Amino acid sequence: MSLLRNITSGFRSLFRSEQVDRELDEELGAYLEMAAAEKMKQGMSRMEALRSVRLERGSVEVSKEVVRSGGWETLVETCWRDLCFAVRMLRKSPGFTAVAVLTLGLGIGSNTAIFSLINAVMLRVLPVYEPEALLQLNIENPRRPGAPSIGFTNPLWEQIRDRQNVFSDVFSWSEDRFDLAQGGAVQLVHSMWISGNFFSALRIRPAAGRLIAGADDYRGCPAETVLSYGFWQDHYGGTSSAIGSTLSLNRQPFQVIGVAAPGFYGMEKGEKFDVAVPICAAAIFDGQESRLDRRSHWWLQVAGRVRPGIRQAQVVARLKALSPAVFMAALPHEWSPDGQRDFLKRTLTAVPIATGSSRFGLLHRFERPLEVLMAVVGLVMLIGCANLASLMLARAAGRYKEIAVRRALGASRARLVGQLLTESIVLSSAGALLGLLFARWGAALLVRYISTSSDAFFLDLSLDGRVLGFTGTVAMLTAILFGLLPALQSTRVSLTSAMKGSQSIEIDRPLRFQTRKWIVASQVALSLVLVVAAGLLLRSFAKLARLDLGFDRNSVLLLGTNLKAAKVPADSQIATYEAIETRLRALPGIVSVGRSMITPLEGGAWNQIVKTDWSNALTDDEALTWLNSVSPGYFETLHAPLLEGRDFTSTDSKTSRKVAIINQTLGRRFFPGLNPIGRTFQLKGVSGQFGPPIEVVGVVKDAKYQSIREDIHPTAFFPDVQLSPEFAEAENFELRTAVRPSALVSSIQAAVASVNKEIALEFDTLTDQVNHSMIRERLLAMLSSFFGALALLLAMIGLYGTLSYLVSQRQAEFGIRAALGAPPGSILLLVIRDVLAVLCGGMAAGVVISLATVRVLHDLLFGLPPRDAITLAAAASILSIVAFVAGYLPARRAMRVDPMVALRYE
Amino acid sequence: MPDKPSDLVQGTLDMLILKTLALEPMHGYGISVRIEQMSKGVFRLNAGSLFLAIQRLERDGLIDGEWKPTENNRRARYYTLTAKGRKRLNNETREWGRQVTAIARILEAS
Repeated sequence: MSLLRNITSGFRSLFRSEQVDRELDEELGAYLEMAAAEKMKQGMSRMEALRSVRLERGSVEVSKEVVRSGGWETLVETCWRDLCFAVRMLRKSPGFTAVAVLTLGLGIGSNTAIFSLINAVMLRVLPVYEPEALLQLNIENPRRPGAPSIGFTNPLWEQIRDRQNVFSDVFSWSEDRFDLAQGGAVQLVHSMWISGNFFSALRIRPAAGRLIAGADDYRGCPAETVLSYGFWQDHYGGTSSAIGSTLSLNRQPFQVIGVAAPGFYGMEKGEKFDVAVPICAAAIFDGQESRLDRRSHWWLQVAGRVRPGIRQAQVVARLKALSPAVFMAALPHEWSPDGQRDFLKRTLTAVPIATGSSRFGLLHRFERPLEVLMAVVGLVMLIGCANLASLMLARAAGRYKEIAVRRALGASRARLVGQLLTESIVLSSAGALLGLLFARWGAALLVRYISTSSDAFFLDLSLDGRVLGFTGTVAMLTAILFGLLPALQSTRVSLTSAMKGSQSIEIDRPLRFQTRKWIVASQVALSLVLVVAAGLLLRSFAKLARLDLGFDRNSVLLLGTNLKAAKVPADSQIATYEAIETRLRALPGIVSVGRSMITPLEGGAWNQIVKTDWSNALTDDEALTWLNSVSPGYFETLHAPLLEGRDFTSTDSKTSRKVAIINQTLGRRFFPGLNPIGRTFQLKGVSGQFGPPIEVVGVVKDAKYQSIREDIHPTAFFPDVQLSPEFAEAENFELRTAVRPSALVSSIQAAVASVNKEIALEFDTLTDQVNHSMIRERLLAMLSSFFGALALLLAMIGLYGTLSYLVSQRQAEFGIRAALGAPPGSILLLVIRDVLAVLCGGMAAGVVISLATVRVLHDLLFGLPPRDAITLAAAASILSIVAFVAGYLPARRAMRVDPMVALRYE
Repeated sequence: MPDKPSDLVQGTLDMLILKTLALEPMHGYGISVRIEQMSKGVFRLNAGSLFLAIQRLERDGLIDGEWKPTENNRRARYYTLTAKGRKRLNNETREWGRQVTAIARILEAS
């Protein structure tokens, strides 16, 4: 009640201040009048009486000030007045304001941009009901403890679904790509296989039609699909006629039964599903040997909503107890006895997935780089703040007299500090607003940068409380950081000396200059850290980019096909590829054509254990060999040099002797010191049996297979005709072109269509594929160099500003020295001494900080250690050069001081 | 000239104002005259601290203010004790009595 009264009364005096003022005036006036009347009764004149009352009781103005200061509204009023004053002062120096706001805007903007990415990738929870109660299931393999599991087979999922007793809902899903096209260029959409209860477990509502429900998920279910809201809008314009229409997914007609509510993008950050189909629909694509029954096809993810009152530890314990029965029931019988025994030792475990499942997510790779970038932009912000602090100090020096006068008139130091800080806060708030705009643009740009045309990342970058809170906090912290020290320093004035004249500034000079030296030295230290980090990341990217991949990445067009999807019978697939190859070879602009199951650095891999005819004891891990199926033109097209033996030819047929081409690493590991040509080896199958012997006919130069950062794997290539038909289902053509690859797309499409209209084509270039595999390193190198350069620039400006200030302050001294006969060199030395002091101090601190912190970059670097001496030395030299460039102009000015001018100035 | 007017013990001004208003509604000058008279000139209030205290008491809902004409045809704000104010006065008086006795006891003991 009284609080309410307090507030209303406060607001009354805030917003109707005139009336309140008048009332207070009247009341006080009446009071003093009455007191004076009393005195006059005792015989005083009116004048005398009023004067005596003012002395005894205080004047109207002073009393009013006392009464006013009692309410909370005065604080608001003071702040408001400070705010107006700050804005007025800043408007008086538009240059300074623009520089400060821009600096802060870019600084706060970079920080907000990186933070909003971190927020989107790591902190934001999934847009589903109570995501905190969701746990994702993992398989713990005792043979590879701690290794992430790759997923679940459908038989395993069915066992878990039927036996578990800890989740109120347990559901399964799998991310995939479907092709909408009927032929020609592929039109891939993001799809999700889901268990029937997926939507109900996550409490997703339909936006139209109905969603897939538990009853829809049974063996032999019809081809039905649910669209995401975004896909419905983009492809159907959000019309209700979409419901019930037919959509072709990988050439199979699916009926659209509904649309999921907007906002739900799937279970994985960075992905966005377009269509969802029930898991049981896999049988429609697979035919006889369906994924639904395959016991070593690991394609599903499983998660559950924990029953209320059960803790995560209990869930894990009960899942562990459940494991033997589950794994026994889903045992892959085709495995070797050893493999089966290992399989039964596996256990189930569970981890939270409130922020999304990202074990396979491509975004997972960007978590560390984002953290590093956050630190980088934070440091740049600090360096920028240091410059602003210097600027504020210089500004405050110019207002020395104003501040002294205010102090003399009775303003308390706290009040003045508050007022100066208000100025900083106004600046940083303006910077924060600018920064938010910049961040939206910057974060979206970064997401686009790490996306490729075929793999666009989707991230929800909309502003939320966390991002706004972060930006606000950063703005306040920076305001205090660059504003507090100057405010404290500049209000420490000596009144008597200030009143005496301009020399008074000199008295405080050494102290103030000392502060600025410290500021610049810390800038030098932080810049060194950033330059070292940038140098390391840039050098390791350069090493990656210059790496000999073992093939020529330029001018190669990749053409992905899927003959199974095009319904080409298994026994005529190779013949179809060969027919296409003949047409392609005849096209103008194409130099040579090859095919392979896996293209270099696409990310896919096929490996098996190998046994050779030459006995050497290798462990299973050492004997694991990477394999690929290729056509005779493959090596020639990639410019992968054949070092010994021969290439595959058309005489290597289905019926002829089985042959292979191996790489140098395989030769060295399996046939040390021997000529591998003519030797044979065998592949170990899943059942533990070894296949027929394969003869080595050639040795090819080592090349990267799966990722650019890998050590070269022992690799063997087989002619595709000699492998079992399922290896030929989806092959890629490599086309070495003499013209720009994009100019060939339409003629290639026509050539393929002339063989079979049903075949869908996926275009890419080898250069893009290689670049994409270095995208993380490229991103880090690019951004850290950019911010490193920015840090250098800021440090240079800081040093230049401080030295210029020093020289202008010591002009008289230099003039006198020159007049007394000091050679210009000795004056130069005075300035250089200052540069050196700042540089050495800052550099030493920077080296220590660098050595202590660069270890965090360890797993992001390639081919050089974090404490790389060359990088450190180079960074230090760059910084020294920058420092001397910054010191040159002020030093020259000091040297040329004309004694006459300097002394007259005095 | 008598002794210099004493400063009030912190927080007691509110209590004195409430006590003064317990007898009858009064304007600001009336309050200060009454306090001076009753304290025989020991306490002399200046306008600033008096009206600051009045503003505080009014915001806390312990007194109510109302504009009324004075005896000599001016306008002044007259303050009345509210029920809440009367209760507060009783509490504070009792508390004050306890403290004074206690302090006196300590001082006499030595």
